[in-house]
Amino acid sequence: MTVKLRVWRQTGPGQPGRMVDYVAHNVHPDMSFLEMLDVVNEDLIRKGEDPIAFDSDCREGICGSCGLVIDGIPHGPDKGATTCQVHMRRFTNSETITIEPFRARAFPVLKDLVVDRTAFDRIIAAGGYVSVNVGGAPDANSLPIAKDVADQAMDSAQCIGCGACVAACKNAAAHLFTSAKITHLGLLPQGEAERSRRVIRMVAQMDGEGFGSCSNEGECEAVCPKEIPISNIARMNRDFLRALIR
Amino acid sequence: MIPQKALSSSIGSKFLIALTGLSLVLFLVAHLAGNLLFIAGPDAFNHYSHSLISNPLVYGAEAGLLALFVLHIVKTVWMFAANRTARPERYAVRKWARKKNPSSRKTVASTTMILTGSITLLFVITHLVTFKFGPYYETAEGIRDLYRLQLAVFSDPTYVGFYLFCMAVIFFHLWHGISSAAQSFGIDSPHWTPRIIWTARLVTALLAAGFGLLPVFTFALSVN
Amino acid sequence: MKLESRVPSGAITDKWDRRKFENKLVNPANRRKFDVIVVGTGLAGASAAASLGELGYPVKVFGIHDSPRRAHSIAAQGGINAAKNYRNDGDSVYRLFYDTIKGGDYRAREANVYRLAQMSVNIIDQCVAQGVPFAREYGGLLDNRSFGGAQVSRTFYARGQTGQQLLLGAYQSMMRQVDAGTVTLYQRREMLDLVVVNGQARGIVCRNLVTGELESHGAHAVLLCTGGYGTVFYLSTNAVNSNVTAAWRAHKRGAYFANPCFTQIHPTCIPVSGDHQSKLTLMSESLRNDGRVWVPKQQGDKRPPAQIPDAERDYYLERRYPTFGNLVPRDVASRAAKGVCDEGRGAGDSGLSVYLDFADAIRRNGIDTIKARYGNLFDMYTRITDENPYQVPMRIYPAAHYAMGGLWVDYNLMSTVPGLFVLGEANFSDHGANRLGASALMQGLADGYFVAPYTVANYLGSAALPAVLGTHEAFSQARAEAQARIDRVLKVKGTRTVREFHRAIGAICWDHVGMARNEAGLNRAIADIRRLRDEFWQDVTVPGDPNNLNPGLDYAGRVADYMEFAELLALDALERRESCGGHFREEFQTADGEALRKDDEYAYVAAWQFTGVGARPALHKERLVFEEVHPSQRSYK
Repeated sequence: MTVKLRVWRQTGPGQPGRMVDYVAHNVHPDMSFLEMLDVVNEDLIRKGEDPIAFDSDCREGICGSCGLVIDGIPHGPDKGATTCQVHMRRFTNSETITIEPFRARAFPVLKDLVVDRTAFDRIIAAGGYVSVNVGGAPDANSLPIAKDVADQAMDSAQCIGCGACVAACKNAAAHLFTSAKITHLGLLPQGEAERSRRVIRMVAQMDGEGFGSCSNEGECEAVCPKEIPISNIARMNRDFLRALIR
Repeated sequence: MIPQKALSSSIGSKFLIALTGLSLVLFLVAHLAGNLLFIAGPDAFNHYSHSLISNPLVYGAEAGLLALFVLHIVKTVWMFAANRTARPERYAVRKWARKKNPSSRKTVASTTMILTGSITLLFVITHLVTFKFGPYYETAEGIRDLYRLQLAVFSDPTYVGFYLFCMAVIFFHLWHGISSAAQSFGIDSPHWTPRIIWTARLVTALLAAGFGLLPVFTFALSVN
Repeated sequence: MKLESRVPSGAITDKWDRRKFENKLVNPANRRKFDVIVVGTGLAGASAAASLGELGYPVKVFGIHDSPRRAHSIAAQGGINAAKNYRNDGDSVYRLFYDTIKGGDYRAREANVYRLAQMSVNIIDQCVAQGVPFAREYGGLLDNRSFGGAQVSRTFYARGQTGQQLLLGAYQSMMRQVDAGTVTLYQRREMLDLVVVNGQARGIVCRNLVTGELESHGAHAVLLCTGGYGTVFYLSTNAVNSNVTAAWRAHKRGAYFANPCFTQIHPTCIPVSGDHQSKLTLMSESLRNDGRVWVPKQQGDKRPPAQIPDAERDYYLERRYPTFGNLVPRDVASRAAKGVCDEGRGAGDSGLSVYLDFADAIRRNGIDTIKARYGNLFDMYTRITDENPYQVPMRIYPAAHYAMGGLWVDYNLMSTVPGLFVLGEANFSDHGANRLGASALMQGLADGYFVAPYTVANYLGSAALPAVLGTHEAFSQARAEAQARIDRVLKVKGTRTVREFHRAIGAICWDHVGMARNEAGLNRAIADIRRLRDEFWQDVTVPGDPNNLNPGLDYAGRVADYMEFAELLALDALERRESCGGHFREEFQTADGEALRKDDEYAYVAAWQFTGVGARPALHKERLVFEEVHPSQRSYK
């Protein structure tokens, strides 16, 4: 099959960009979306043109590197999938596909479809951990944790930090990302000691990075490759308010 | 001790917006209960309104209401502006994700809060000008005859239409507003949250219906 | 140079304690005077950076990704082994040690493996304390499962995302140190050279992948935690950016490369669907607990699997290995799959796949049980292949997965360049010729959390480390050489893309240095690799700007290193004239086709010293002494 692409091209940070049209020939339905872009890039390279830059690594939906806005939806049309897991059989012959980077002030474009998501790392650095040094941990089974609590913590811990939640939010808010970590650690007894300090600091960092605020629409949840629910955000709100009145 | 900074954070702001919004809803409930006395006739209605406006506590209550309004508006407008700057470059193509995953709660109501809120503000101003600061009729007893004023105002079908439109807008605003407030307060019980939201929406619908009934009722009365 | 393994004396149970006591310590107040560089942010790198940071050393961490959390440890699915014996099923440190030595086909260093088994219990404690949400039972205690054919249930797991959760635990601990100011992150940086001053590793040269700028960073010790070289096969289960570059450049500066021919081909991967394929996806080995592997008995039988009656199916693993059945170790399962496909009995259009059938398990346990166990894996399979494994048997085929070989290190994890430590998959140390399932995560974290903090301190506390400035000529020279390599690859302006060359080198390695190797094939591979390397430097084309984000240029550098590394891979395979673990030489097999080890001649670690591109490297042998476990023929019959 053949598909037409409209791709955001931008030479560097702060540079003006524009949509450029390409045609991808010999697209096989079993190709992943990124493999289709690989093929387009191979053609560009042979022509001596600068290939389209995009982030990608594991190509199995877990590293969180890839993230394209495909026809207006972060990670494209498949529910619970990352960009690398979308396959070309989802598209029809001679369809036009628009590809844009994740857009947010806190995610500046570095080039083409590559954005800088280090703001997420700084949010984690502000408290997304349990403060234990290596060495002094008690026996792992000395702290029983109810299975449903552990499972719920795992639901939140699954976040891959891709940033699709930010890309989908009309306010470019990072509440789902931040709340997933707060929920993961807040549910577990290990995280209880720092629960208040963690939520206050992480929220302050999140706000300081220039993300927007939450309008409770749940577009983040809908595009999340791990389908992390916005009940995490409610929990973060509750923890935050609880921390304030304590 | 609640630091100022926390309340100006994204979560604190949303909390204040939710709190002020819900307080205003409670005010509406009381407001509607009083206004429904209109149906009982001029005496009941005018005596009720007189007891309200002659009570010295009313200034405090009005100041409180004004504060709720102002806080709600200032916080939302400030937040709306901040949210716009969080995405300086817009998408060329933008689609809702509902088709991809029906979990999204995005609706026309949720995307037009700033618009429906602005219309509500205009309505409130008009409403105050029309009634609170409107023509002063007096009853034989020497108290303000708001019954007559209401009768006069809603004899105009355009005005009735405007009112009904505004009630629909407020209903729309609250459709998202109430569920959003529950989320902002951090209510996330899988069992209770949907129940809370639907109860709240039912209250909203009753409010809108009640407030919509009055102009229609008054209009019918004036035609007769 | 003589290889010194520096294994402490004494009983194997006491060696590590002895070493810890012998080690020099660094006074807490002095630690801030010693800079440590950590390259790579996977399990080994992140855990080492976190623990060294906690101790108070100023640590600089480098990674090629936008965030440290993206390192490929994130993709490990199955679990992590630990000799906790929580199941009361007879596990112990000694048994884990024994299983690992045996599983590695007696090509690993006993003392290292024993220490690994000892550390395994601490790892679980540490990770739980960090809040890693391991699977639990209803009683609230940790769940375990049997994995990779182990006879005991010692594998801890977090759904099918154990690597992710362990890495996030280590990453978060490291970010805590970033917050504390002890660790500084340098992301989107690629190490292009090791800087050696007076024979000691004193820093690195790296390229800022966003600006293209070459940067020099000095330190008192350098820790390489840069993973394995599985992508030399082009198609592998590794991430597409995984590479050998940092390890290879260190090798060219004097670090010996050990046992490169020990590569693991994982048996349960989704088969290749076409030329466009950029990577292969692993399906967790746990699938073999319930799935039955089979191919048609008849050659060229292209009927759909449902139409092949049971009597005409060959459940070849169950037939050949009645005791272990479908749960034989990875190397055995992979080789068997290749064997039946080579006989023309493979499934699918390509004939390069075998069935992994859940029909019996679904019948036995019900579809809901199977869904609960493997639902996410089945979904992933469906997403990629568009086939429903609940109805049609899965098709799987082996794919390159893990590198047991790596830079040679002593017991202290220090390479032949003093001050250069190598951790995790990047070193050769613990898995011998074959790695058991759920052991990679264990090794990465053991090295980073529990070994390096002691041995790096010992080095810093005992070595003479004169002050070296970033302006030292060794830095400027390394930078100039790195710049020259970049200029050279950009100047070729040929006609073939880097990916074409990568595919070509991958095909050579897969065909001749893959699951089965022989002398003629390896000789041919070496000749082909040399020819391809020449072609690369004459005909590659890399467009774009060196002073900008240019993933094509990064890729070119990595493939250029594979052009050199692949030759060593093939040479090592050629020189090891025996079969062991993942290294199967067709000339050396038992009557029934199993690997035939030759312990008299080859019970050694082959450590190669770089002598120049295209020149024959010098072989140094570290003889392996087995005091505890007597080497025997592995049998899974």
